[in-house]
Amino acid sequence: MLDLLWSGLVNVAQWKYLLPLFAGTFIGVIGGSLPGVTITMTVIVVLPFTYGLDPLAGLAAMTGVYVGGSTGGLIACCLLGIPGSPASIATTFDGFPMARNGEPGRAIWLGVWASVWGGLLGALFLVFLTGPLAAIALEFGPWEYFSLFVLAMAMVAGLAEASLLKGLISTAIGLLITVIGHDPIGSVPRFTFGSGFIGGGFPFLPVLIGIFAFAQIMTDLEKLNLPGGQATPSLAGIKLERFSHLKVNLEIFRQPFQLAWATIVGLIIGILPAIGGSASSVMAYDQAKKFSKTPERFGKGHPEGIIASEASNNANVSGSLMTIMAFGIPGDAVTAVMLGAMTIHGIQSGPLFISQNPDIAYGIYAAYILAHPCMLLICLALMPLMLRVTSVRMAVLAPVVLVLCIVGAYALNNTMQSVYVLLLFGVVGYGLVKLGFPLAPLILGLILGDQIEINLVRAIMTDANPWLFLTRPISGGLLLAAAGSVALAVWQHLRHQNRVAEETPDF
Amino acid sequence: MSIGRDGIAGLVLLAISLVLLVKSFQLPSLAIVPVGPGFYPAIVLAFMAAASALLVLQDLLKRRPTAVADAPAAPPRNYRLVVIAFAIVGGYIALLPLLGFRLATVLFVGTLQAALGWPQTARQWLVLAAIALGTGLVSYVVFERYLMVLLPRGAWTGF
Repeated sequence: MLDLLWSGLVNVAQWKYLLPLFAGTFIGVIGGSLPGVTITMTVIVVLPFTYGLDPLAGLAAMTGVYVGGSTGGLIACCLLGIPGSPASIATTFDGFPMARNGEPGRAIWLGVWASVWGGLLGALFLVFLTGPLAAIALEFGPWEYFSLFVLAMAMVAGLAEASLLKGLISTAIGLLITVIGHDPIGSVPRFTFGSGFIGGGFPFLPVLIGIFAFAQIMTDLEKLNLPGGQATPSLAGIKLERFSHLKVNLEIFRQPFQLAWATIVGLIIGILPAIGGSASSVMAYDQAKKFSKTPERFGKGHPEGIIASEASNNANVSGSLMTIMAFGIPGDAVTAVMLGAMTIHGIQSGPLFISQNPDIAYGIYAAYILAHPCMLLICLALMPLMLRVTSVRMAVLAPVVLVLCIVGAYALNNTMQSVYVLLLFGVVGYGLVKLGFPLAPLILGLILGDQIEINLVRAIMTDANPWLFLTRPISGGLLLAAAGSVALAVWQHLRHQNRVAEETPDF
Repeated sequence: MSIGRDGIAGLVLLAISLVLLVKSFQLPSLAIVPVGPGFYPAIVLAFMAAASALLVLQDLLKRRPTAVADAPAAPPRNYRLVVIAFAIVGGYIALLPLLGFRLATVLFVGTLQAALGWPQTARQWLVLAAIALGTGLVSYVVFERYLMVLLPRGAWTGF
């Protein structure tokens, strides 16, 4: 294994891979640092550039975006008090107070170094645990896969903040989109109404880009040019105080348990399907506060808060990569785009991925490891530039991002049909956001829809006994966990409602 | 008892799922597979119909505030700009196969930038034009010349 990893590192260290990795990491750091631009949006923007590249070069670029974006978000967190990306949300709690206390440089570099160490610790798990996880996945039959996918969707729908019901409907809409077109077993056209446009179904990536990019950009545009509206303050010209990198690192390693625990929390959240970096950042922050000897200092510029949040959101990336490489299930929307890119290059993800494509698998590990020093170099060399870039106006950014989204959709198969699909689902995505439907469950439904159907039918074709889904131990356990997840979400929702009812007396 | 936005959304989704559910029962079955192509969609649609019906019910039973005066004001939103942006994107997509990627992209980036923040000075107009031309040119060079990714040709312009 170490031989393969070494050859992966040597391979990715070549210019043809290192350059896309470095460029991806740079774009990721910039995208992450721009408030309102998520890592998913950044990886969507990078997607069309990967079509013409070697598969590993494209995946290295995307891995770079993922790692860079997870770190870049902390700049706006510390200096503006608003997360540059959702994955850095908990960094704001202590990063901003520390910067306001006159130590913006310390706040940012604590975050950057914690990201590096958290990410590299996460790499250990990625390298050594993905193989065993894939071996477990190989034991799965169609029943277990079906149940695993159901668990993933139940968890994501249960996490929907506003309403569990809307989360479940959103999942169903995602699944419904995948059944339109020819059925995967007998190629019978379904719900096409004789239309050539939807005859072949909706291609995954244009739907994903349309739903995600438009929902985000249009929501951002709603806040533009409002009378009395406030512009995002510019960071250009901000000077970071002088400080010692050695001291910052000593500060991180003074509490190795905290760093390790934040990494493990990030990793576990990353492994769980479709739960993003924001959950890992908040959960690691919460855990750090609980285990801290000085919990009262949290929220007032405490270094432990920044370290926990940033170490966990970079470790989260390794967890997501583990899930996609071992099970073929995207850990979040970013890895969903990566999965789409792999499919375009004809690479089949799943438990056989590592054994069938060792060069690419170990290349991804290597890219993930090397992305961290790249990110560190970028932050060391280009911090003043990044501070300037965060003040780019939405009026300039939105048209350029939309052009890249449209190129991404068109270049999939060089037809305008994909672009029309993109626009259609752009409108649908924006409409759903305005109606309060969460998009994460829809995207997961969209990603897993085909696989759920194939595994369900395969299970029935193997043995028509439906009870096998419950009586096979792993499958039954997974379904039980899915039911538990929904029950927990219902209980939390009811408890929240009761609390609100108690707090607001009925006159 | 009055219906709100969630209730209307639930009703629309319920109607869609019921229509498609009926359609799924009409799909032909295959001899080689024990379940037909309509089996899985029927499960998804039945689930969606049930959840949508529950959403309608939940909305109907929801207590609505009687006095709006004390309700916290929602943050203002510029929906006009969103409609304009969607229209400009729609126009760009319609013009892409007619004008070709390079020309349509320059027009699109320029128009959308102007719509999102109308330039006030000659310098701002110059910056807008530079970004529009730059985006068209750089994306063409990078995608077509370097990455060999084909971009739409214009039926009217021939390039």
